[in-house]
Amino acid sequence: MSDLSSPTTLSGLTEAEAKEFHKIFISSFIGFTVIAIIAHFLVWQWRPWLPGPNGYTTSMLDHATTVVNHAIAYLA
Amino acid sequence: MWRIWLLFDPRRVLTALGVFLFVLALLIHFILLSTDRFNWLEGPHHMGAAQMAPLPPAAAK
Repeated sequence: MSDLSSPTTLSGLTEAEAKEFHKIFISSFIGFTVIAIIAHFLVWQWRPWLPGPNGYTTSMLDHATTVVNHAIAYLA
Repeated sequence: MWRIWLLFDPRRVLTALGVFLFVLALLIHFILLSTDRFNWLEGPHHMGAAQMAPLPPAAAK
């Protein structure tokens, strides 16, 4: 029996139910997003997916590695 | 923002979202497996120059 004092909504949820579900939905969304960010970070460490203008071999990481190697060779 | 659940049925939204994310994830994983750089099962195939060379011209009859 529907209570006439609370008009039915399109989804059939009351405001309290909608707020309760919204809390769970937002926390789940944030958790999903955090896991996705961690996964993307790990994959970028494995193999970056944006090639530089000269292809993948001249990525920033390779430049940094080259610079460090030259610095070590210079210091040694 | 929570008023969206007064409009859309959470059960349907969750089902649709789950199906959509699953299909999207499956698609992305298969696309990555089909590439050379991002195939994590077989690794990159280092093709020799012979394999990369253009095909020889068709032999004359």
